[in-house]
Amino acid sequence: MELKLTNIKKSFEDKEILHGIGFSVQSGRALGLLGRNGAGKTTTIRIIMDVFRANEGEITLDGEKFVPKSSQIGYLPEERGLYPKKTVTEQMVYLAMLRGKNKKEALESTKKWLKKLDVIEYETRKLDTLSKGNQQKVQLAATLVGEPQIVILDEPFSGLDPVNAQILKDVIRELIAEGRIVIFSSHQMSYVEEFCEDIVIIDHGDVVLSGNLDEIKTEYGKGRRIVCANNLTLNELKGICENRLSDKVTVHDVNKHYVILNIKDGVNQWQILDAFRENNVDIKTFGAYEPALNDIFVARVGEEEAEDENENKDEEQPKKKGLFGRKN
Amino acid sequence: MKSFGTILKFELANYFKSKSYIISTLLICLVCAVIMFVPRFINTDKSSKNDKEVSGSADNEENKDGKDDEVTYMALYDAGGIVDMELLKGYFGETEFKICDSEDAVKSLVASEEAEAGYVVKAYDDYDYYVFNRGMFDENTEIFTEVMEMSAKKKYCEVNNLDKDEFLALEYLQVNVNENVLGKDSVSNYFYCYILIILVFMIIVMYGTTIATGVTNEKSNRSIEILVTSTSSTALLFGKVFAGAIATVFQVGLIGGSLLGSYQVNKSYWSFDIGQFLNIPSNVVIAFAIFGIGGFLFYAFMYGALGALVSKIEDLNKSAGTAQMLVMIVYFITLIQLSNIDGVAMKVCSFLPFSSYSAMFARVAMGNVATWEVVLSAVILYASVVVMGIIGGKIFRASTLRYGNPIKLTTALKGLKKSE
Repeated sequence: MELKLTNIKKSFEDKEILHGIGFSVQSGRALGLLGRNGAGKTTTIRIIMDVFRANEGEITLDGEKFVPKSSQIGYLPEERGLYPKKTVTEQMVYLAMLRGKNKKEALESTKKWLKKLDVIEYETRKLDTLSKGNQQKVQLAATLVGEPQIVILDEPFSGLDPVNAQILKDVIRELIAEGRIVIFSSHQMSYVEEFCEDIVIIDHGDVVLSGNLDEIKTEYGKGRRIVCANNLTLNELKGICENRLSDKVTVHDVNKHYVILNIKDGVNQWQILDAFRENNVDIKTFGAYEPALNDIFVARVGEEEAEDENENKDEEQPKKKGLFGRKN
Repeated sequence: MKSFGTILKFELANYFKSKSYIISTLLICLVCAVIMFVPRFINTDKSSKNDKEVSGSADNEENKDGKDDEVTYMALYDAGGIVDMELLKGYFGETEFKICDSEDAVKSLVASEEAEAGYVVKAYDDYDYYVFNRGMFDENTEIFTEVMEMSAKKKYCEVNNLDKDEFLALEYLQVNVNENVLGKDSVSNYFYCYILIILVFMIIVMYGTTIATGVTNEKSNRSIEILVTSTSSTALLFGKVFAGAIATVFQVGLIGGSLLGSYQVNKSYWSFDIGQFLNIPSNVVIAFAIFGIGGFLFYAFMYGALGALVSKIEDLNKSAGTAQMLVMIVYFITLIQLSNIDGVAMKVCSFLPFSSYSAMFARVAMGNVATWEVVLSAVILYASVVVMGIIGGKIFRASTLRYGNPIKLTTALKGLKKSE
């Protein structure tokens, strides 16, 4: 299965929220849908679920126009909410039946997910009598109770302790392994890196970065190296790079462990190592730079912010192209 | 359709398991039943005249003991001796008259509140009435006027040597009338028509608000997020509205049943026959059912959609006020126009979907209305219910996931127009 969004535009009261976004996600893979608050992620999700209609563009599933059935999609909203005064089973069976299951199937599916998420002991309890973490797990169970093929999870880990987070991770891995399409929206980048093969970063209603996460990381790290020394602190090393190696490298960033360098055109890594040696730098580590998703996200969204500011300052100035360009 | 059935069952279960629904239903039923038992313990005119006669002497004893507390005083200045004192006593019963020698004395007694009222008789057909504070139900002038009339008649009989009793028998000749209403009897229909219009009005306002509250609650606790992605918003709204309608009919039926059942048990103790007011012709009952249910559904969809426009219960009044206002206007127009049932206003209102539920019903009960008019009005009403359901569903769908400030109805409607 492949779910594909093409040139999706959406306006609310004359304000365009999505400017023609597009991406695709395959079954058995998880897509990380990322963006700052208000970037347009939730609107995109609601368009996929047909809660909102797009003003333009189309969504296809395996090339056919996608008209979602309630049985096809399971959605865990960021704004959690079930019936606080109903028992866990009562509301899960209701939701499963709304998604096309008969009562017997609904009950079976309810028990299955409550067991998997380790909340079966609360099946007869009213929701508002459970702890926040258990309510969260019931909410996820309610998302999956109709056995949907497309699962959309919006901040699934928020409010979970490490033990419950691990249970949830196992369930998500299982969903992916079962060949379901998983769309994962989160600000917790480490979780996205853990599950998602592909990512889409939306900013101000545009896709500013999309593709395979490993490829993006490789591409983003290309021309960059990390370095640290035995005889110098990171700040001293940074100073040497900026003052004595400025013809070969520029300093991209300094993190907790390394100085990250941009290698200038025409310079190879041996020349840099020689230059370090000449400056009495006792190299501890020198190697390829694999950026964290968080760095890529901050860099991409920050770049867009800077672009916006530049555009506002001087509209005549030509537009800077992002690392990968905008993809629609 | 399948999900509509699921929603209907779930929402009905919500009503029937709700403590407030169960308690309010039982409590109202109990109160209604108890009210009908009251005449068993408190005497009314019919209940036991014999009892009264038996206990009469005891009552009189009590009256004697508390005479000063019970007796009312009035002042009278009758210079010409026009008023027949025997008649006066007969008409005013326990009231004692202080006979004054001047008009000023009457005024003074009334002003000092020593007398409840005062009369200055000038001629058989002319007297002045004095009272300090006039009450809402002051009937003194009516009674005293009758005394004056009777006094005049008595005097006339004496002067003309006529037998007073014969004269009065002729004056108040008892004519036996057998009324045969071949069409509609507006007088007897007025009572139940009035009651039923109030009943529908109350049902619409009370249960409409309940439906709107249910929708807003789901938005407020965010369960709507998962609901609208699990089924269609139209099915959700239809399920809620129909469940509300069934729960309403059930509750009102139980309350009405307890009221009538209890009345049947205590019928013999009631001084008047309530049954004569409830002897509603079958065509009126059918019209009430058709137009009452149609009107309720029409407004219930409206309330449901209006409930979706706000995210907080405290904002609901702002939103539901539109429907509330409309129902109130229709209610007042219908009640005011009951006395002019075949007037233009009622004819127009009986075809408009937001007012036909009471106007057409009232016309069927009390006015002249052709069958085709009733059928046309019912078709318009039920077609409007469907249209309102669809529009309501769309507003519901477009508004449910928009939180924050209340959405104006006009904005929601504009949004619908645009999306189409």
